Amino acid sequence: MSAGEGAPRNDLPRVALVGPPNSGKSTLFNRLTGLRQRVANYPGVTVERKTGVASLPAGPVEVTDLPGVHGLSPRSLDQMVTRDVLLGKLDEGQAPDAVVLVLDATRLESHLMVAEPVLDLGLPTLVVLTMADELGRRDGALTASALSRELGVAATLVDARDDSELEPVRRFMEELRVGGEDARSCPIGEFAGASPDASGQGRRLPVVDLFAARRRRARELGRSAGFEPPRPSRLTRRLDAVLLHRGWGPLAFLAVVVVVFQSIFAGAVPLMDGVEALVAGSGEYLAATLPDRWFRSLLVDGVWAGVGSVVVFLPQILILFFFIAVMEDSGYMARAAVIADRMMHGAGLQGASFLPLLSAYACAVPAIMSARTVESERDRIATIFVAPFMTCSARLPVYALLIAAFIPQGPLLGPFLGQRAAVMLGLYALGLAAAVGTAALLKGTLLRGASAPFVMELPPYRWPTVRSIAARLVGRTKVFLRRAGKIILATTIVLWGLTQVPRTPAGEPPTIEDSALGRIGQAIEPAVAPLGFDWRIGIGLITSLAAREVIVGTLGTIYGVEDVDETTIELQDSLRRDLDLGSAVALLVFFVFALQCMSTVAVMRRETGGWRWPVLQFCYMLTLGCVGAWAAHALL
Amino acid sequence: MTSRSQPAPKGAERMLADVPFEEEVVLVRIDMAGDDLEPLLERGIVPGCKLCPVRHAPAGSPTIYLVDGALVALRKETASCLCVRSALEAAGVLDAN
Repeated sequence: MSAGEGAPRNDLPRVALVGPPNSGKSTLFNRLTGLRQRVANYPGVTVERKTGVASLPAGPVEVTDLPGVHGLSPRSLDQMVTRDVLLGKLDEGQAPDAVVLVLDATRLESHLMVAEPVLDLGLPTLVVLTMADELGRRDGALTASALSRELGVAATLVDARDDSELEPVRRFMEELRVGGEDARSCPIGEFAGASPDASGQGRRLPVVDLFAARRRRARELGRSAGFEPPRPSRLTRRLDAVLLHRGWGPLAFLAVVVVVFQSIFAGAVPLMDGVEALVAGSGEYLAATLPDRWFRSLLVDGVWAGVGSVVVFLPQILILFFFIAVMEDSGYMARAAVIADRMMHGAGLQGASFLPLLSAYACAVPAIMSARTVESERDRIATIFVAPFMTCSARLPVYALLIAAFIPQGPLLGPFLGQRAAVMLGLYALGLAAAVGTAALLKGTLLRGASAPFVMELPPYRWPTVRSIAARLVGRTKVFLRRAGKIILATTIVLWGLTQVPRTPAGEPPTIEDSALGRIGQAIEPAVAPLGFDWRIGIGLITSLAAREVIVGTLGTIYGVEDVDETTIELQDSLRRDLDLGSAVALLVFFVFALQCMSTVAVMRRETGGWRWPVLQFCYMLTLGCVGAWAAHALL
Repeated sequence: MTSRSQPAPKGAERMLADVPFEEEVVLVRIDMAGDDLEPLLERGIVPGCKLCPVRHAPAGSPTIYLVDGALVALRKETASCLCVRSALEAAGVLDAN
């Protein structure tokens, strides 16, 4: 990404929202900015920079929603970025003009621990104490004005979901506009940089003593502000008694998993078909409207096909992120991670990796994007790396074609399991085994290190809000289309170009075997021959880089079969003529392992902040694919 | 977990992993090194804080603790590094011996 994407875009006054996870920070951000939000990565890292504009009577103010943090020490990427933004080390060297520190009033004492390093920065600060409704409902108490006196900065107690309670926050931000330079030029305080936690250097106290002292001060502050901790949430206790119950808990978890999986896998199909039909229909309209020149082919067969191949993933992405948003905002996501932790721990991962890996059975693209829910960076990278091994829906047309062509339709285990179903199951199992093995390999090599302690906070259950879910879906859509779209578009245009040259003497595009792409396929035939493939399959392997299922259409084109799909008998007959059983199984094994999907590569580049991991993964999976295919061909 | 084994004698220092459900304890020290400490410390799991095991995850691990009003899940290997003693004893209600 370009450095400019993470930088502030104008000279509006800038306010940063800082606070621990689950403090109501994002709810406040959505309330203040509506859907006028932009999501980008900070330069060079994968931490998201969410900005929006709050329209106030005195004029607009830019609001940045920083990642949820428990402190400002550089132990995690989120904390490092938050610290650097507040110290003015990012965003072209500009610190924000003011800070809104968001703390959960029901957990005042532990959340106040993050207040100390933030207030030490000396930036104009408003402390927003959220969850006022819950504090009252559960018989807790807190006097914001008393806390304000103790902290020396303004403090307000609000329910961030209730717009009418946010007036003090808007007034604070308006001060930045009407107060002019005076309000915006407050110097960074004397502790900034020298503060042990802010700088990450020169700690004067052993780290435990430092936090213990901070905790004591937080408790004293709470006492002075009349803080009465609320009684435990009855709703949370009752729901946990069911959702974390030894018997009911896994059943409820399984039900959620089935609903999510089924929605992504089957529920998205009509929507995806609709998107495909829309793209195809508009492409046909363009083809009919434009003159029959090369640019029509470029636009329709290159650009339109490229856009279509990206946009078609949108329904799956939106459905997955809808469920993730509901589960996170309701508090169930943390419980799901706790339930899955034991199983995932065995594979060297953690509970939060479960949902991304499950959704990878539908498509690795949303799965990789959703790996952001994994807090540990090492585990997040491992999750991203193994996700493409799960059998995504794009592999199914390839599997279906080859299984139908080469595996006889007969029973294997009486009426319970047929031979074809057994092969299909075997391919799923092979992908899963590769994922588990790769996770173990990564954790023993590139991602080696003492695993960070698993510390998962379980927030109280709450109703998710429509506004919060809508804002997240809109944000995800923009991110996906902008980032993945660029690379996919470029790839499909290059592939299209290779099918168009050299032109025939009559100036027509060549047949696919005479095209540059066909010649590349013939050139790589010696390389793919040991795997049992000829030049036709070689071309298919190249075109399927755009998306795995493209190989079916390519083989249809090469064999001259029209209206092809994975059930076309004519294509199955042609394949049986050219391939033996060993070659067919080799091709299946190749597709189990190889990363034949540029969308996945593109999204992975975005989510890992560079080319290192996607290149490594592409080469690793290609090697596994080739070795596996060679072994299968040699054995059969 | 000791939630299924013999309770330790009151007054002794124990590891959090050995504390039965619903017994409130006070953290005495953390036998863990380096940066691994910080995720715990930042969440208020510091010497002097009160912890109370509430329930296991359905598979038996991790265990969920009430930490000053918040629910926090810890794996057994982490809980085995947290040295605690009874909250009653810490408050002087029970004799340490």
